[in-house]
Amino acid sequence: MNGLAFDTPWALAGLLLALLPLWRSGMQTATYPWLAMLPPDPLSQAVALTIRLLAMTAIVALVLGLSGMHLREQSVERIGHGAHIVMLLDRSSSMDNSFAGKAPSGSDDGRDAGGRATQGAVAEQSKAEAARRLLTEFVDHRDHDLIGIAEYSTSPLFVMPLTENRQAIHAAIAATATPALAYTNISKGLAMALSFFDRQPVQGSRIVLLVSDGAAAIDPDSEAALRILFKQQQVRLYWLFLRTDNSPGIFAQPDDPRDDNAQAMPELYLHRFFGGLHIPYQAYEAENPGAMRKAINDIDRLEQLPLHYREAIPKQDLSGLCYGWTGVLMALLLGVKLCEARMV
Amino acid sequence: MNIRLLLKDYRVWCLSLALLAMLALFAFPTRKQDGAVYNLTFVVDITRSMNAEDYRINDQPVSRLAFVKHSLRELVGQLPCQSKVGLGVFTERRSTLLFEPIEVCSGYAELANSIEHLDWRMAWAADSRIAGGLLNAMQLLLDRESALVFVTDGQEAPPLNSRYRTDFSALKGKLKGLIIGAGGLQAVAIPKFDQNGKRIGVYGPDDVPHRSSFGESDLNPEKIEGYDARNAPFGKHAAVGTEHLSALQEGYLQQLAAETGLAYSRLQTADEFATTIQNPEFGQVFELNRDTRAFYALLALSLLLLTLV
Repeated sequence: MNGLAFDTPWALAGLLLALLPLWRSGMQTATYPWLAMLPPDPLSQAVALTIRLLAMTAIVALVLGLSGMHLREQSVERIGHGAHIVMLLDRSSSMDNSFAGKAPSGSDDGRDAGGRATQGAVAEQSKAEAARRLLTEFVDHRDHDLIGIAEYSTSPLFVMPLTENRQAIHAAIAATATPALAYTNISKGLAMALSFFDRQPVQGSRIVLLVSDGAAAIDPDSEAALRILFKQQQVRLYWLFLRTDNSPGIFAQPDDPRDDNAQAMPELYLHRFFGGLHIPYQAYEAENPGAMRKAINDIDRLEQLPLHYREAIPKQDLSGLCYGWTGVLMALLLGVKLCEARMV
Repeated sequence: MNIRLLLKDYRVWCLSLALLAMLALFAFPTRKQDGAVYNLTFVVDITRSMNAEDYRINDQPVSRLAFVKHSLRELVGQLPCQSKVGLGVFTERRSTLLFEPIEVCSGYAELANSIEHLDWRMAWAADSRIAGGLLNAMQLLLDRESALVFVTDGQEAPPLNSRYRTDFSALKGKLKGLIIGAGGLQAVAIPKFDQNGKRIGVYGPDDVPHRSSFGESDLNPEKIEGYDARNAPFGKHAAVGTEHLSALQEGYLQQLAAETGLAYSRLQTADEFATTIQNPEFGQVFELNRDTRAFYALLALSLLLLTLV
């Protein structure tokens, strides 16, 4: 049968023992002067054969049980709603600041950094913390998605391949609680996120969810390479931009034409670059955790394309069943034994 | 039926005992047993000296990092289920966690894949301040259940000024774990790569600083040739040295181990590594249910075969 496997296959050699009952019946023998004189007795022959078969089956069942027979973990293909999502998380040090651009105070004593009462306002959380909490909720929501995680600061970090192991994804998101790293190098991060789809079949929707609080100019070489990669991988891009107060957003237009360049306004230019990729692209600008939640819910709602996914059926142990049959067969054998005719 | 005759038949005895053994099998299928499970967080040095090739896998020279990855994968496959493994990387003077410990049996594929993707190009800055990274890793893991396994070759780059040493006294002994020294004792060249990751030879003596020129000099001014307190506190001559070559700094790592209260061990073979890590000291005792059915089944089988004699 398909999917049948054994923990200790060598124990199957014990199946040879099942041949023993053909040779020795285990029944009491009696000496008789001339066997040919006995009349043929089909009933006795049938009974004798049954007893041998019983013993053989008992041995087979026992050996199968001993070798740890089980059905391998299998998967059934189902169709649900979901996507393959790569989360690309910004680990630059500014992510450790709050949306107001300050270092979070940590404790909520009802006062701000200057000691003034904040009238019960909650302690500010850092952008990374808000992102972590919302992404965790998002992951819990999306049952059938394959989710992978990449991070970037000055260089990209490969964290978790596309997987359905929720515990692993949570562990990776939780680890972003450790202090952030260095600067923002978004092009390498994007290239790494796209590489996640390299050996994945194209089905359902493929999403790169970029969570960042800033952008950086992309050099022309990487820009050309990214254009090709985005096209090849057929991804949809969501950019969740966590805007800090008083910083230019992704939709801001320069007041002064001299500022209209990628160095001065990297966010705007990155937004234009994404918009010019000719792929489905959506940007969300969030100034506070509430707006972020709205954006995440939006993505959750939008990305419900039909997706083939495989549901795992866990390994099924069959040795218990084998032992059960052994028990029944042995009880039968003992019963037969008790009925045996005794000769002195 | 004659009871006395029946009792004389050893086959009846054997069959009854075999049936009893089967009943025992159903009654006590498992036995409680103490086993060790591990909760480990590996922090791997991904600085460039880890690219030095002084290990071999199947007679092919491989870099220290490649061998560390190989050994880690082997280990993760060997750890008992319900053990947890987390992964982090170290470069510059900081460590960061990639993910918190996850269960090794259900997460083997993910762990193996993440380990495979460890790369020196993940480094976000280029210095190699081992002591700083170790201190940082210990701070990250403080108050967590996980034991720290810090894998490094111990090469500080730029060299350390002994005046400014990392102070571990606040954390000493607060963390279980060990430092794993990777690399050979023989100094070897460090491969150099260009921007696109193509190998372009090795680091030469002119590529790296050979002594610390940071802060105040740690040498006696009278012994420094060309010493000038303001203009040349480290002397006027360029330092020469062998910092462009890299070897496992075992003495230094042992010293760090003593200062931090961690154990030290050298990475030689993957098997040895797995044994070192699976030290009960780093594990937690855990009550496991051992399958004991095979024992009763074997007993029943022997008894059944006896009836055929």
